[in-house]
Amino acid sequence: MSSSSSKAAARAQKAAEMRAVQEKREARRRILTILGVVVAMIAIVGGAILIGKIQTDKEQDELEAGIPAIGKSDYGLVIGEEDAPHSVIIYEDFLCPYCGQLEAATRDNLAELAAEGKVRVEYRPFDLLSQMIETDYPIRAANAFAVVRDTAGDEAAKEFHDLLFERQPTEGDEDSYLTDDELVALAVEAGATEADVRGGIEGLDQEGWVDGATAEARESGVSGTPTVFVDGEVFQTGGGVDGLARGIIGAVD
Amino acid sequence: MLRALRECSEARATLAHVWKGLAWLGLLARLVTGGVWIVAGALKIADPAASVEAVRAYQLLPWSVAEWVGLALPALELVIGLALVLGLFARGAAAISALLFVAFIVGIASVWARGIEINCGCFGGGGYDADAADQYPWEIARDVALLAASLLVVCVRRTRLALDSVLFDRRPDEPVEVAEGAEN
Repeated sequence: MSSSSSKAAARAQKAAEMRAVQEKREARRRILTILGVVVAMIAIVGGAILIGKIQTDKEQDELEAGIPAIGKSDYGLVIGEEDAPHSVIIYEDFLCPYCGQLEAATRDNLAELAAEGKVRVEYRPFDLLSQMIETDYPIRAANAFAVVRDTAGDEAAKEFHDLLFERQPTEGDEDSYLTDDELVALAVEAGATEADVRGGIEGLDQEGWVDGATAEARESGVSGTPTVFVDGEVFQTGGGVDGLARGIIGAVD
Repeated sequence: MLRALRECSEARATLAHVWKGLAWLGLLARLVTGGVWIVAGALKIADPAASVEAVRAYQLLPWSVAEWVGLALPALELVIGLALVLGLFARGAAAISALLFVAFIVGIASVWARGIEINCGCFGGGGYDADAADQYPWEIARDVALLAASLLVVCVRRTRLALDSVLFDRRPDEPVEVAEGAEN
C-alpha cells in the first residue's frame, strides 16, 4: 500500500463525512424553515381571530350598555305590563324586509304573551334606510306613525305599525312605496281620524321626531335592523329571521 | 429500432416542453388566484363584525360556529393569497384554496336553491341584496374557474418563480472541498 493511495482514501472518507454533515444541516434548515413559516401563518390567522373576537365583543357590550332601557326611550312604543318578567326591544325600519318578516313571525305571539303579562315589548322604529337606498319612504312612514300616535294614541299607533308592516312595500321598488293617501287610509283603518292625520302626514309634521329617533338609535350604536334585545342583551340565533323569531318567543315564553 | 428510440426521445422532448409550459401556467394560476384572495381578505379584515354577519346571512352554520368562521376567513384568505403569490407552500396553499372554493360554491348554490337573496359577501358587504339571484350564476362560475386554477397548482407541483424552489429544492451537490494537506 502506497502512502498516496491511503491518503486518497482518507481524503475520500473525510469528504463523505463532510457531505453527511452538510446534508444533516440542510435537512435541519428545511425543517426549521417549514416550522417557521407554518407558525407564522397560524399566528397571523389566530391573531386576527383573537383581535376580531375582542373587537366584536366590545362592540356588542357597548351596544347593550348604550341603548335606553325598556320604557326609557323617547321614541319607543311599549306594550305589556311594567312588571313583566321579560323584555324585548326591537329596533326596526318600516322599509326593511327582514323587519317585515320578523314582524310577521313574532307579532301575534308577542302581543299574546304581552297580554298574558309574560313580556314587555318596545318597538323603536327609526329611519335606517333612507340614505342607503335614497328614498324618503322610511321617513314618511315613521312620520305617519308619529302623527297617528300623537293624534290617536298608542293603541292606534300599534295598529298602524302592524298595518305598515303588513302592507310593506318592496325595498328598492319605488312604485310599491305607499303614497300619502295610502298612509292616510291605513291610519284611518288603524283608528285615527282622517282630518287629524292628513295634514301631519302630507306635511311631514313629525319629521323632527323621526330625526330624534334616528339620532337616538345611532348614538346608541344600533347600525342595522332588525336589532333585537331580549332582557337587555343583543339577541341573535342562527337560522335567519325564522330562527330569530323562534328564539325570541322561546326566550320569553 | 433506431426509429423507435428517436420517436421516444422526441416524445420525451414534447412532454418536457408541455411540462415547462404547465409550470408557467401554474405561475399564472398562482398569481390570479392568490391576487383574488388577497383582495378579498384585505377588504374584509378591518371589519370582523361585518364578516361574521356575511357568514350568518347564509343560514348554514350554527350561530356560534358562524362567528368563528367569519372571524377566521379574512385572515385565512390573506395568508393563502400571500402564500400563493409568493409560491410559499404553494401546493398546500392551493389545496386549501381549492377546498375553500368548493365550500363557497356549495354555500352560494345552497342560498340560491333556498331562495335566500344575499350578497355573497365575497369581497366585503353581505346580507340582503335584491338582485342577488342574477349574481349567483356568475359568482359560481367565477369560483369554479378559481377552483380549477387552484387544482392546477396542486397538480403541477413546481410552478415557476416560487419561493418553494429557493427554500426547499435540493441544491446541486456542492463540491466538497477538502483542502490539500488537511491531513497534515
